[in-house]
Amino acid sequence: MSKYVLSVALAALALAACGKKEEAPAAAASAPAEEKVLNIYNWPDYIPEGMIAAFEKETGIKVNYDTFETNEALNAKLVAGNTGYDIVVPGTAFSPAQVEAGFFQPMDRAKLKNYGNLDSDIMAGLSKADPGNKYLVPWAWGFTTVGINRTKVEKALGKTAMPENVWDLVFKPEYTAKLKSCGIAYLDSPTEIIPPALHYIGKDAYSNDPADHKAAVDMLAKVRKDIRIFSSTMIDDVAGGKACAVVGWSGDINIAATRAKDNGSKDVIEALLPSTGAMIFFDSMAIAKDAKHPGNAHAFIDFYLRAENAAQVSNEMSYPTGNKAALAKMKPEVSGNKTIFIEPAVAAKMVPPGKFTNEGRESMASAFTTFKKGK
Amino acid sequence: MSTESTTHSALPTPGRRFVISVPMAWLLFFFMLPFLVLLYISFVDMGTDIHPFKPLWDAKAGVLRLKYDNYSSIFASTETGIWGQTIYVEAYLRSLAYAFCTAVLCLILGYPFAYAIARSSPAARPALLMMVMLPFWTSFLLRVYAWKGILADQGVLNRLLLGLGLISEPVQMLYTNVSMLVGMTYVYLPFMVLPLYATLSKLDLRLLEAAYDLGASPFKAFWLVTVPLSKAGIVAGFMLVFIPAVGEFVIPSLLGGPENIMVGRVVWDEMFTSNNWPRASALAVSMIALIVVPLALYYRSAAQSAEPAKH
Amino acid sequence: MQRILQNYFGRVWMVLVFLFLYLPLLFMVVFSFNSSRQDAVFTGFSWRWYEALGRDTKIVEGFWLSLQIALATGILSAVLGTFAAFVLVRYQRFIGRTLFSGMVNAPLVMPEVVIGLSLLLLMVGIQHVFGWPERGLLTIILGHTLLGMAYAMVVVQSRLLEVDRSVEEAAMDLGAKPVQVFFLVTLPNIAQAIVAAFLLSFTLSFDDVVISEFLSGPGVNTLPQVIFGYARRGINPTIYAAATILIAIISTAVVVYSVWVARQSRRLAREAQLALAEAQG
Repeated sequence: MSKYVLSVALAALALAACGKKEEAPAAAASAPAEEKVLNIYNWPDYIPEGMIAAFEKETGIKVNYDTFETNEALNAKLVAGNTGYDIVVPGTAFSPAQVEAGFFQPMDRAKLKNYGNLDSDIMAGLSKADPGNKYLVPWAWGFTTVGINRTKVEKALGKTAMPENVWDLVFKPEYTAKLKSCGIAYLDSPTEIIPPALHYIGKDAYSNDPADHKAAVDMLAKVRKDIRIFSSTMIDDVAGGKACAVVGWSGDINIAATRAKDNGSKDVIEALLPSTGAMIFFDSMAIAKDAKHPGNAHAFIDFYLRAENAAQVSNEMSYPTGNKAALAKMKPEVSGNKTIFIEPAVAAKMVPPGKFTNEGRESMASAFTTFKKGK
Repeated sequence: MSTESTTHSALPTPGRRFVISVPMAWLLFFFMLPFLVLLYISFVDMGTDIHPFKPLWDAKAGVLRLKYDNYSSIFASTETGIWGQTIYVEAYLRSLAYAFCTAVLCLILGYPFAYAIARSSPAARPALLMMVMLPFWTSFLLRVYAWKGILADQGVLNRLLLGLGLISEPVQMLYTNVSMLVGMTYVYLPFMVLPLYATLSKLDLRLLEAAYDLGASPFKAFWLVTVPLSKAGIVAGFMLVFIPAVGEFVIPSLLGGPENIMVGRVVWDEMFTSNNWPRASALAVSMIALIVVPLALYYRSAAQSAEPAKH
Repeated sequence: MQRILQNYFGRVWMVLVFLFLYLPLLFMVVFSFNSSRQDAVFTGFSWRWYEALGRDTKIVEGFWLSLQIALATGILSAVLGTFAAFVLVRYQRFIGRTLFSGMVNAPLVMPEVVIGLSLLLLMVGIQHVFGWPERGLLTIILGHTLLGMAYAMVVVQSRLLEVDRSVEEAAMDLGAKPVQVFFLVTLPNIAQAIVAAFLLSFTLSFDDVVISEFLSGPGVNTLPQVIFGYARRGINPTIYAAATILIAIISTAVVVYSVWVARQSRRLAREAQLALAEAQG
């Protein structure tokens, strides 16, 4: 009997030892000098083509660039620990809690020579999530809003005028019923849809109260049957004409407009600026606490902070990066685009990001699932 | 210690212990251990702030904090307390329904198909079987992906129907029940065809001839002779399709809509969207219990009924 | 009359079902040559998607990665599956047999999401305690092998049950040691089943999405993961080009293999006939 247990244990050890031997030399090799590798985890459609290649060419560092589609997915990985990534790009609704939990390491300003390029107003705003601006450097910011294919929407609405509050287009049954035929799309994330819904019914957009979430879902349930698509990557849906009204991210909607033009479409696609306000978000770079290549991470962040690179991001991805020095290098149609670089008056009406608790997120997630599955 | 019941043991005792230990160790480590971890986490409370769960043993109070809520919230609605009104139960029942429909569709499509192959000339049969298996060896993900293109609003099928004048504007086929069932039936069809073929090819044609001689019409002969004799194949095919189809994740994600959320997606969402590890674990444990236990009982009874035949 | 109808009905049905089975494959092959991005109208012949495929490092890297993982999984699954099959068929009584049997068969009926979740939690736990392993290539192989081993076991087991023990007993009577018996008699007998088990686990691993998603790490993206990512973003004909190449490779392999097997069985049949004729003559 004991011999049996012994042989099982020996076999197990043998199996484990085989694997461990492989890993030990690799670990020893990375300890003294940092490997020339960098692992980045970012949102999709957020980096101009060629930027990674340019960085790799200049520094000789190989970059592994993976993407995630929702804040929740990134959060799940961070919570599980040892993500293996060096740079991650959380959104501001999640980053305060993540900073507090100690998932990130403080940035070494000495290594970021281009830090001064950043807009101090933006950094002041960011310091609410990251006191002292120790852990986060902005990647880009934008706002969650209503995006429309104006040509199709006006056709579908017919005689009905555009509503005063453009959120009606996606939240009010009178309008959604008409737009159903040309397609309405929502972001497939509870933390992106519930806040605008809460704001629409007059509640605190970033409330963690389950009762509020229920109220929001009650409102949303009325339009559920008119929503056709749930997607986090709806650029192709809008550009391809599958959706004419979306709750999406400002930059993505602008990218869709460009892509539609490239495809030869004559439709006008725009991100709207609601009079009642849209939800601002900041996506910022953070270095994971257990990052294996912090030196390389700093090098990349510094590279990104260069004026010409930040300008390239804005020019091609239609997102402002919070980099003041980049403004000079931008294309006029981009820096002049009011849905990208919003005017202060409009910005003042927008809803700044709040902070979610674990329970709040959980309640939102189950409310959202109830909403999605309903008819 | 343990004695061999058959007279010839293949290896003496130390070698035997080694042969058993290798797979046993692997299974204990990669199956049993994860299951125990799953069980453990299913009984803890969801963590506050960012941590996924609180520890089971409250060191300060010295108390074992078991949270049964994770399980009860799966089966009974937290608001109304009514059993079975949760999204989890609904998703599970929905999955069972879809899996059942898929199996039935596979049976309807697959039975005549298998029959035709079994009846074709022996020279043609290997080639035909190879043609059935070829799509199976090709990436299933790619084939599901192709259906997205075929069933899309501006896809091939809609264009064809529009061109033929059968419809006036594109019909939404993608992200509906239809597209999902098409995808599931498509992927699982070979799993139904092969066992059916195996049974049908062993069918003794003389029995059919006897039936004809006795005056039965081909139709009657089919239902009274062929089908009962192929029962084993039907059951095997049904199980091979139904059981994996319940937990299917990929096909509903790519071809199904938000109304067709199946139980696999629910577990995924619980983990990656709600970030609720304890409840995700409780769901997983419940699913294992709901699938494994009935099957174990089934096999036990099947083995028991087979045993008298041995002696 | 009814019989003729039945015959034709069978053949027509067979053709229709084959069409159904091959429709997606044909669709992808045809549209991989489409000159525009549209997926319904064939606007003209073009190689552009194949060129795009060559430039798309993600797909190419994913392919090689999946190949490596599938190979390792196939071998490991075949070995472990053979062990397990041997244990279950030859050893009727040992401690923990029911448990063993249950553990081996369970992955066959458990949803992959559950397998992936439990393995992820295990890896996370181990990593917290030991600081290893990094989620990536190794963890994916381990996850796939759990599933592959179950399928491999089923395949080898069914063959092992059919094997005629008398040859083995004869060998032992002639003085061969049990280890020799296994390698010289049993193994060649079940070799074809082991190869089939390897191929089955290989295919399952190459195709797997769910377990890979749970257990992968940075920079480790299997081909199914890449395709799954693309699939959620819309239609991309580059994938069709990749699919066509894959279909071509696999079709060739399957056809070659089938022809070879057919030749082998014909050769064996001929040899058996010759032997019979000699014995009679």
